[in-house]
Amino acid sequence: MSTSITPKMIPAGTVEADQTMPRQQRRALAKPKTSVTGHPVRSGPGRRKSLRVEPFTAVSYVGVTVFGLFALIPLWMIVAGSLTAESTLARSGYSFFPEPFSLDAYVAIFSGTAVFEGYAATLFITFIGTALSLSATASLSWVIARGMPRISRPLTIFAYLPMLFTGGLVPLYLLVTQVLHLQNNWFAVILPHMMAPFLVFVAVSFFRQLPEEILDSARVDGAGELRVFFEIVLPLSKPILAVIGLFYAVSYWNEWFTAMLFISDPDKYPLQLMLQNLIANVTNAATLPGSGSVAPIYQLRLALTVVTIGPILLAYPFAQRYFVKGLTLGATKG
Amino acid sequence: MQESMTAQQGRPTAAEPPSRSAPSAEPQTTRKRRQRSRGSGVLLLLAAPGIAWFLVFAYAPMAGLVVAFKNFDVSQGIFGSPWSGLDNFKYFVESGDAPAIVLNTLVLNILFLAATLGAGLALAIMLNELRARIFKKFMQSAIFFPYFVSPIVISIMLQVILAGAGGHGGAVNDALGLFSLPEVSWYTEPGPWPWILTIVKVWQLGGYMSVIFLAAITAIPEDVYEAAMLDGASRARMALSITLPLLKPTAAILIVLGVGRIFYGDFGTIFAIIGDNGTLFSTTDVIDTYVFRSLRTIGDFGTTAAIGLFQSVVGFILVTAAVLIQRRYSKESSIL
Repeated sequence: MSTSITPKMIPAGTVEADQTMPRQQRRALAKPKTSVTGHPVRSGPGRRKSLRVEPFTAVSYVGVTVFGLFALIPLWMIVAGSLTAESTLARSGYSFFPEPFSLDAYVAIFSGTAVFEGYAATLFITFIGTALSLSATASLSWVIARGMPRISRPLTIFAYLPMLFTGGLVPLYLLVTQVLHLQNNWFAVILPHMMAPFLVFVAVSFFRQLPEEILDSARVDGAGELRVFFEIVLPLSKPILAVIGLFYAVSYWNEWFTAMLFISDPDKYPLQLMLQNLIANVTNAATLPGSGSVAPIYQLRLALTVVTIGPILLAYPFAQRYFVKGLTLGATKG
Repeated sequence: MQESMTAQQGRPTAAEPPSRSAPSAEPQTTRKRRQRSRGSGVLLLLAAPGIAWFLVFAYAPMAGLVVAFKNFDVSQGIFGSPWSGLDNFKYFVESGDAPAIVLNTLVLNILFLAATLGAGLALAIMLNELRARIFKKFMQSAIFFPYFVSPIVISIMLQVILAGAGGHGGAVNDALGLFSLPEVSWYTEPGPWPWILTIVKVWQLGGYMSVIFLAAITAIPEDVYEAAMLDGASRARMALSITLPLLKPTAAILIVLGVGRIFYGDFGTIFAIIGDNGTLFSTTDVIDTYVFRSLRTIGDFGTTAAIGLFQSVVGFILVTAAVLIQRRYSKESSIL
């Protein structure tokens, strides 16, 4: 969905924009874009002249709006519910408008320490996990993309096979508990997901597009392989590293199943597992905040949900385009 | 850009020490090769953490699947436990659960795949029609967001929608009440659950799929549409006769990937939503949830590993078949 105007998109008939011109000048030249028929066209895919609204376009507006509401309403119900008094929730289980308004659940959550411990666990898993994942993925991908005889091809297959065939749950469980003894250790949540073969291939396809001339000239100037990687490849690959890092971060943030398998000490529960425990055992809710008073259980559950997805909700508007970019790259490169 | 490139091309000869000023082609290639082989050791070091991870967390568990053929005993370890032949598989087959959970796995995943692909395709084509930029951007963000919501959160949303406190009420039931339809106790009715889970998957992945398809639409050359426009085609016509056929290859790739995952019944979402609600197992219990439950309740590693191995092998066969079929299919379509 790039909006920048590339010379290719300028229809015949307009002044040819020269590659060497400064970007702004090129933009200015490209501005009076006209189609073959002389009508102004819009940029973006499928741009066509639109003098009247066709039925299909109207249907599209309606369809997209309906799906947009379908996507957002459940989220809204969670947020509204978390601000609604327990009395209403206990009757109907949901609310579209926070009436009567109540902050009881949030007060209860933040008066105890459990949520902060959960946040600490989730933040540890997310940050350490993403750092480890990103560095391991980037370096392995570069060695694959580097195209070395007798090394890169076997490595490609080596990283590709686990996408097709996995050992499954039992061997992994035995590995973590019997061999590595990582029970109740946050690394038991991080390590099994440290590398995603799919993201390795996203990185490889990006690295392959890096201009060979720059790398070669650095090598000729005497830069070693490590220096080329750290000082040229990585800085040039910031966009894709951001994409891959975000994908890893979200998956660590949302990870709960591995935590459920390997972490049994409630003090070490990450947020998602705390939340899962609240569903599995509603009575746990009363004891969660650590305060003696009766907690608003249903409201609490929704409030904890909001607390859990809060950071994703806040970061999403800024991070979204990176996800789209990463997916697009992954999709077009197969 | 061009200037800097020529500068770089000029540099090698300038950097070359005078002793090597002999005909450039020969020595330069040998030198490059030498550099490459010298660097490869360092590069292997760079790849080492990744390789180590794959060995420990991807390949060692594959070897660990021998547990499926053993009478596993924790004290004797994986390789010390006595062999038991095919007993573990026999146990799974004789338990009588096999046909039901295999069928559930296939039915649910085919539903998921068809519904998410269909929704993604429809959404991408409709999004492509939108002209109001801000509206389009906003909607695209909104429909992509559910992809980032964790299964646990989805499960809570579903409870809010389907059942209120104490198992009755909930938004859907209240809506049914408006039309004076009877309340449904959703969490004790196994019948509608394949459809409920399908709707959940569409909610979760519809936007994600639409992003992929929209990227493919962007790659369609503009002049195809211009030609159609000159011929007086309507937008609906263009969507049906140009966009849709040209999205076939993308859909094929997604189907192949999806078929490869068909035996892995999206454990996270299903388990988070259904959990230990036994009344819903008849329509929602898939291989993954069955494996996990038997691991937790029976604690029999051998049997569960046997089911896991069965799952992996069938999954592998399915994805290989899908790739082969897709290859043949795309070859034929390229001839046409």
